[in-house]
Formats: sequence, structure tokens, C-alpha cells
Amino acid sequence: MKKFIILFFTITLLFSCKNKPPHLIRIEGKQLPITEEINSVRAIEDYIEPYKQKVEKEMTAVLSFTPIELNRDDGMLESSLGNLMADLSYQKANPIFNSRTGENIDFAMFNFGGIRAGIAKGNITMEHAFNLMPFENELVVVELTSNKIDELVNYLITENKAHPLSKQVNLIMRENGFDFKINKTPIDTAKTYFVLTSDYLQNGGDNMNFFKNPVNLYKIDYKLRNAIIDYFKETDTIKVKLDGRFKRKN
Amino acid sequence: MEDLKEKTKGMKRRNFIQKTTTATAFLTLGGLSLQSFNTKTTKHITILHTNDTHSHIDPFPSSHARYANKGGVARRATLVESIRNENPNTLLLDAGDIFQGTPYFNFYGGELEFKLMSMLKYDAVTIGNHDFDNGVDGLYAQLPHAKFDFLSANYDFTDTILNTHVKPYKVFIKDDIKIGIFGLGIELKGLVGEKNYKETKYLNPIEIAQDMSRILKDDEQCDLVICLSHLGYHYKPESKLIGDLELASKTKNIDLIIGGHTHTFLPKPTVTKNSIGENVLVNQVGCYGINVGRIDFYFDEDKNKASKGKSIIV
Repeated sequence: MKKFIILFFTITLLFSCKNKPPHLIRIEGKQLPITEEINSVRAIEDYIEPYKQKVEKEMTAVLSFTPIELNRDDGMLESSLGNLMADLSYQKANPIFNSRTGENIDFAMFNFGGIRAGIAKGNITMEHAFNLMPFENELVVVELTSNKIDELVNYLITENKAHPLSKQVNLIMRENGFDFKINKTPIDTAKTYFVLTSDYLQNGGDNMNFFKNPVNLYKIDYKLRNAIIDYFKETDTIKVKLDGRFKRKN
Repeated sequence: MEDLKEKTKGMKRRNFIQKTTTATAFLTLGGLSLQSFNTKTTKHITILHTNDTHSHIDPFPSSHARYANKGGVARRATLVESIRNENPNTLLLDAGDIFQGTPYFNFYGGELEFKLMSMLKYDAVTIGNHDFDNGVDGLYAQLPHAKFDFLSANYDFTDTILNTHVKPYKVFIKDDIKIGIFGLGIELKGLVGEKNYKETKYLNPIEIAQDMSRILKDDEQCDLVICLSHLGYHYKPESKLIGDLELASKTKNIDLIIGGHTHTFLPKPTVTKNSIGENVLVNQVGCYGINVGRIDFYFDEDKNKASKGKSIIV
């Protein structure tokens, strides 16, 4: 009889389990850090190894040489690496832009924060190019009205930072005002200007809102990093100097 | 059995029989530890999750300024394996941005990331903005390497090559518990180049989440509803962007939102309220595979305990 009761309850219980939805009674949440105290799964490590070796080989390939250290902090309102990045981007992108539109880019501008790593004196490797520009940012040309160029200049003055500018720009800040020239010519209010930048900044990155809603937007279909790599590959020795393209004069 | 009988001597007869029978039933099924006697008909589901791993396969080097010696897929594999051994009713999920961040992606286009995630037995992932970095075609090309599901309910891929390869949701069944998981992605316009996302249509994540949670709760009768989101954790009120906290507050029947995109390191999972004042858990574990999130759900099928409601321990 006792066995029968047990069996009966077992069946009832199992049956009721099936029909009644389970109730959530308790939730526990935590974060598990992945640290060196955790051993690696050997099979995974072994699987990664050939990929890793190939990547390392590619990354150590020498592309160019620099006789000086290149970084973003060696000037006040310009830098060796900023000048190089802006100038090489102009040099690589302008022929493409010109062949498509018949126009020339007026100047290039990027952001100080976008220079992600410096390059030490000596050989320049693929790894340097990736560290300098780890993102997939694309080069774009924005056509801006002179009003937007004014905004751009105000931004540079307010920011007071070494944002990369190509050599066509000449901006001098003075005690009471400033001089801004593109290709040695003051801004013409009747004209529009073609500015080379990245899609990231064109979308308002780093608050460069003057790049948003341009008169026209031209895609170059060229990644900034690829422009850097291509320039390094075709340049035996990098020559760059601080030329005062953006400076303060008291 | 003697111990159990001793313990239950003072109990009411009905209770005694229930406990004994349950124990017998479990013993018949075999192999469960003594712990089962106390937990009775409790079921346990473990959710493990990552987000924004960004092609970080190797651990960070010891010279790294912020994340020295942290992360690493081979270590993550050990952790996941040990938790699966402890609880086979475990799901491993990722909230997007698997691609982009190390040369592994630039050289192999995401092949190694997907292969390793398959080796770790990921169950489902959603799609982050960076997963479009080689275009919809680049993502499509890597799909053969992924042995897990791609879930996105608010990206309409009908007019792209990804059509039929991404599902809005999937229902997993673990220990008879139905777990409904759906994916949500961030607005692509302005964030991803048009030539990369092509004809992908972005749909309002709140409206879609309301639909999805209804489908999963009412139609699919899920016991657990999880949202895998790449929307981002939270944005300023003046921003047009919708974050996970806002999503939580404007939906119901979602138990857990696993987030990504904003690389948010939370000190612990956030407990917030949904549109009808119920608790929702929102979690995100930073980026680069530095952490794995773990959420454990315990279910009880005992009628008497049901009215007590649920407790959340974070």
C-alpha cells in the first residue's frame, strides 16, 4: 500500500510538472574576468598558432625608413606625424579625386586624436601603419561653403590643438585675430572648397560638425590606412618637417 | 535515505511523502548528488556572454597600459568548458562586434574569430556595426566558419545576400526550459558606410522588441526571454539613440538584455524596471574578451513557492 501511494504521488508530481510552467525564482549575475590565472585550452592555442605566425610575419615587413622619430607631440599646433599624415593623404587622394571630378582638393584635415601611435626612428613596418591607423576609416572629400570654412577655422582656434592639416593651409593666430590662407590665398566667400578628411570626422566625429551636410560629399573609396601603407611602400626615406602651417605669433 | 527519513520525521505526512517521492524520482533518473534532495524540482539555466571582442584572440601583452595579461580566447575556452561541466544547461552568447580590432581581422576577414567561437560552442550572436566592416558580402563569406546562429530582429536583410542567413529569434530548450533569444542592432546610417550595409533596412528596435517579446512569451510560450542587443548601454536624453536601459523601460516580458557597442564595463549587472514595473536585468562586460558575463536562472516547479516571486542577486 505504501509503495502504491509513493508511485501515485510520483506520477502526479511528474504529470503536474509537465502542465505547470516553471517559475523563475532566483537570478544571479556576475562578471568573470579572464586573467592569466586561467589556463589556456591547448587545442585552441595550437589552432591559433599558424594564423598568429603568418600575421606576425606580415606585420614585421619593412615598408619604409624614418631618420627621425615621428609623433604627434613635437610641435605646438602642428606635429611631424600630423603633417605627414595630412600631406600623404592629400598626395594619394588628389589624383583619384581629380580624375573623377576634374577638380583639385584644397586641403586635408584630420583630428589629433586620430593619430593612434607614434613611429620610432628607424625602419617603418606594417605594424606601425596598423598602430597609427587601426580603424577602417575611409577618405572622403567634402565640398564646403566659405561659411563652413569659417566654422572650421574657428574650431581650430578654439581647440588650440595640433589637428593634422596639409601643407596648403596657413593659419596664424595673433593677439587680436588671425590670418587664414589656402594656397597662399585668403578665403573667397563666393567659392566652395574641397576638403579631404575621413568618413569618421565627416559624420561629426570629434565634434567637427562643419563637415556634416556638405554641399557635396565625394567618396574616394580608399582607406586612410591603405593610403598610409601605399605611401610608405613607395617612399624609401620619410622626409617631414614642422613648417609652421599652423602657429601662434605674438 | 536513513538521514532523510530522520530529518523529515517531524514534518507533516503529506510533505514527507512529497519529498520522498521526489527524491525517489530523481534517484531513479540516476546520478544526481545529494544536493538535489534540498533543491527538489529546481532547474538551473546558465547564460554566459561576451560583447565587442573585436578580433582580440591573443591575451593582451604584459606591456599593455590598460589590459595587461587580460583576455585571450584559449583562456575563455577553459572557463566556458568548466562552467558547462558544472551545468550542461548553459548557453554561450555574444552581443556583436566580433570583427575588427586586430590584424587577425585585416588578414583573415573574421575567419579565425568565427572558427574559434565555433570551437567554444557559441550558441547565438547578434550583429554589431563593425561586423559590417567588410560589407554584407564580407560577413556572408565568413558564415561557413560559424556553427552558431546569427540573430537580428530589427535588421531586414531581405534585399541582401544575408537574406535567410539571419533569423530574428531562436528558441533554445534546455532541461525543458524554453529560452527565447532575439537580436537587436544599432542604426547603421552614419555609423557604417552605405556600400557596406547596402540594402539592409534598420527597423525601430523598441517596436521590434515589443513584437518579439510578445511572440516569444505568448506564442512560443518561453520561460525565459533574452534580448541580445548591440544598441549600446545608455545615451544622454538629448541623443536620438536608443540604449538598453531605455529599451528595458519601454518593453515587457524580457528577463535579460545582454548589451554591447558602448564597451561599458559595469561593476555588476544593472537591475532596472520594465514598462509594467517588473525587474529586468541589463548586462554588458566591457570589450575585447576581458570578461565573460554569467547570469544564472533558477526555476521552481513547486506550486507553493510560485507566489513568492523572484529574487535577483547581483
